[in-house]
Amino acid sequence: MTSSQTPPQDPTPAAEPTPAETANPAEETSQGETGGSVPPPKKSRFGIRLPGKRVRVAFLLLLLGLSGYVYYLDATIREAFEGRKFALPARVYGRALEVYPGLKLTREQLVEELKSLGYHDNPQLQEPGTYRLTMTGIEFTSRDFVFGDGSQVSQHLRAEFADGKVSALQTRGASDADLALFRLEPPLIGGIYPGHNEDRELVRLAEVPKQLTDALIATEDRKFYTHWGVDPRGVARAFVRTVTGQRVEGGSTLTQQLVKNFFLTSERTLTRKANEVLMSGLLELHYSKDEILETYLNEVFLGQDAGRAIHGFGLASYYYFDRPLERLAPQEVALLVGLVKGPVVYDPRRHPKEALARRNVVLQEMASQNVLPQAAAAAAIALPLGVVERAPAGTSPYPAFLQYVHRQLQRDYREEDLRSEGLRIFTTLDPFVQHQAEDALKSRLAEIERARRFKANTLEGAVVVSSTQNGEIQAMVGGRDARFAGFNRALDSERPIGSLAKPIVYLTALEDPQHYTLVTPLDDSPLVYRQRGAADWKPQNYERTFHDKVQLRVALAHSYNVATARLGIDLGVDRILDKLPQYGIERKPPPYASSLLGAYGLAPVEVAQMYQTFADGGFRTPLRAIRDVVAADGKPLQRYPLNVEPVAAPGPVYVLTAAMQGVVREGTAQAMTNYLPAEMNVAGKTGTTEDLRDSWFAGFTGNRVAVVWVGRDDNKPSGLTGASGAMTVWGEMMKNLPTEPVQPAMPEDVELVTVDPVTGVRYDEGCKSGMVLPFIKGSAPAETVPCAAGFAAASAAPAASAVAAASSVAPVQTTAAKPAVKQAEGKKSWFQRLFN
Amino acid sequence: MKNRHGWFLVSALLLLLAGCGGLKAPPSPATPAAGTAPSAEQPVPPAGEQAPPAPQTPQAAAENSIGALGPRPVMSENKAVIALLDRASSDNGAGKQDAAEASLERALRIEPRNPWLWLELARVRLARGQYAQAITLARKSNSFAGGRHRVQAENWQLIGQARVAQGDAAGAEQAFKRAEELARQAGDEH
Repeated sequence: MTSSQTPPQDPTPAAEPTPAETANPAEETSQGETGGSVPPPKKSRFGIRLPGKRVRVAFLLLLLGLSGYVYYLDATIREAFEGRKFALPARVYGRALEVYPGLKLTREQLVEELKSLGYHDNPQLQEPGTYRLTMTGIEFTSRDFVFGDGSQVSQHLRAEFADGKVSALQTRGASDADLALFRLEPPLIGGIYPGHNEDRELVRLAEVPKQLTDALIATEDRKFYTHWGVDPRGVARAFVRTVTGQRVEGGSTLTQQLVKNFFLTSERTLTRKANEVLMSGLLELHYSKDEILETYLNEVFLGQDAGRAIHGFGLASYYYFDRPLERLAPQEVALLVGLVKGPVVYDPRRHPKEALARRNVVLQEMASQNVLPQAAAAAAIALPLGVVERAPAGTSPYPAFLQYVHRQLQRDYREEDLRSEGLRIFTTLDPFVQHQAEDALKSRLAEIERARRFKANTLEGAVVVSSTQNGEIQAMVGGRDARFAGFNRALDSERPIGSLAKPIVYLTALEDPQHYTLVTPLDDSPLVYRQRGAADWKPQNYERTFHDKVQLRVALAHSYNVATARLGIDLGVDRILDKLPQYGIERKPPPYASSLLGAYGLAPVEVAQMYQTFADGGFRTPLRAIRDVVAADGKPLQRYPLNVEPVAAPGPVYVLTAAMQGVVREGTAQAMTNYLPAEMNVAGKTGTTEDLRDSWFAGFTGNRVAVVWVGRDDNKPSGLTGASGAMTVWGEMMKNLPTEPVQPAMPEDVELVTVDPVTGVRYDEGCKSGMVLPFIKGSAPAETVPCAAGFAAASAAPAASAVAAASSVAPVQTTAAKPAVKQAEGKKSWFQRLFN
Repeated sequence: MKNRHGWFLVSALLLLLAGCGGLKAPPSPATPAAGTAPSAEQPVPPAGEQAPPAPQTPQAAAENSIGALGPRPVMSENKAVIALLDRASSDNGAGKQDAAEASLERALRIEPRNPWLWLELARVRLARGQYAQAITLARKSNSFAGGRHRVQAENWQLIGQARVAQGDAAGAEQAFKRAEELARQAGDEH
């Protein structure tokens, strides 16, 4: 070693070491001591030049440096292992289905839900997570589950169905008992992953079947229990390979593999290998074989699922076989062990032949090492792979919703904690509603493009669906390709809302019942509005026509811009715009009159919040996506409770709802009858912006509020109105969902009055040529006029009750709607004939 | 805290007024464990004469009229909702308010328009000191009451209690008067 050292460069001549100063006796030659001032350089026994003092100092420093480095490596390893901190991703669940007798649910729907939870059809029913169909019902065995508000043990259950509803629900056991309610586990819909999108399911060594650890050791590192971290022959082999120019690989013990996985990059250089050897030794020094093995079992990379890396045998077991480790058969164990060598190369779904071959090699290894009896191994070799088909989930099939959840969580949790603490997040997503929303958007956009001969994929859209009464977001679609985690239009696309802004104007008017009722005539003649700081504003109606006087309800139904603008200006532009924050709209629209007609952008989710308040009788419930957050150990961390704020008085909101029902019944959204029957009494508003760039529909049924936007990402005109674009998506989606009719409770200060639909005069109750409309008490015309029989015949008067309080309509399962568009058009032209 | 002091004063006042009828001072969730002792003074009516009805406080009157209605009618036809209500009730009794709210919210997902559920949720919020929320939830309950005077009475009673806690004595009195009136109507219906 010393013969290759060069003496350090030194400006001043170094003093030659005197014999008394020579440090190491071993270096001394046996030539004996020489006296004198300049002794000749020492020579060792082998005639090699000994290093000078500088060189020895340098060597000492190097040794020091090396020990320091080793100490540093040691500290790194120990720190990582002491903490033993595996970053556990947050798990995000959708809503838990609650089953009870009387619930509108078919057997097929329950089977779908169970399948989405990973349940298997199995006549044995022993294992949790199995079900079987019976003559008229279903039996299933639920899994243990820890909810945000308590845990639930595995049970055997039975459900019967009749007329599209659950007719009976029982637990089965020593005796069968009727159950009032059963909450299924919620479906896992995604996760928030640590850096590198690693995912794992921690297992303790005691929980891992011995067969698996034996197979692993037999295949990868037979001397695991005896070596000190490195297998010397393996290292030698690797060294030889490097020197001879081959790649440095293989020969790694489990300890080395662990070190490689945990700490080092995947370079394959000699220095990396040296580090690996050092660190393996240090690891073995500090930790027991069992500890190292357990860590290995949880760390090893075993597969790639699109954006998500599968780490550890615990998760791999579910990922490939949808079962926990302890329930794997020998050939399944062998497959997982075989994957260690190359999870991508031996991916059983992509390369089944290679995977099978590799698995069988492992099985043979297991036999030869007596991990498995020979006969059993032979039998196992003959079996197929048995890997479950799995929908490629990536990190989530619902990226738009996950994104919203993530943002809401970021307000309360640090990013590192979200990604690594194993939090369990219970959300409000309803997969059934989500699928209907996705399908409706996708199919309608494709149909529209086809029908209008657009180039494919020019249109885009967004959908938000929430529950009327509690503000829970049931579905969120960010684009027509719902699986793609890209731009989330539901949250981030701020398009001018156009006519969707009108209901606020009308509500403001209706809050002054002495001056404005549904039949108050509005002026729809040309308007020029001069305002400071802006050009003169001359709003136009969609058809570029004007009308002299129109009833307030008609102006909203047909979305007349001019009448609305004039109304809003009379009421006060600022007064109306100042209301928006109460509806949850934080951004301030420009303070010009054009804002009355929605000349400002909002994201669909913000529009949904506004319409939620209309649907809920003037109560604002902030839209929620999260119900609870629970720690990994089951301890509840946070609830997101149901909070309500009173925003608008219920009376005027009730009257506004009637006007919005008019939009659908006889206004711009008449074509809704192509999707939903008239008895649903849907309330809503179409929105079309200038040059037909944005197509909106916002509306509600008795149980859901939904907003749809359709347009082009490049903001070019799509040629679609709210009715021809977004409304068709809305209708298609709602048609396939269990829908309740709009039947708000009538507030105390509201009364129903029969009036003439054209003139607004008041008739006696029950007059057939009148229409029943709600009025704030004291605002309806005071005088009554005799019932006009004459018009009755000609008119085919609109359906009696705008809001069917008298005839209580029971919640109806949506039936196929008969297209009634023609009839409606007839009414419209009659009306126009009379009034224009 | 201002609210606490205000309540204490009102409570003391009510105690004085609660005398003649031998009434207890009305219990309230904001009560600092005081004020249930009946007043000592009780005028004895002269023989053969009916004493004039003792003036009750609006709060006491409301409570009495509602109390006189007896147990609540069936709150739901749905056994699942009843099961959840029972669970919420026992959780609430055990001080587990989060769990009680969770059960009530589950029930509300099944029957979103059941006024009793909204009332019970309002009660939990009142017990937590979230008075504004309690009032809004009670109003929401009323919006679904549809002429069921009993639940409306209880809602207005709750609004009164919340207003007392907020220090709004005048508003509380109005609410209690309304509650009493509605309770009377409910009683007449039987």
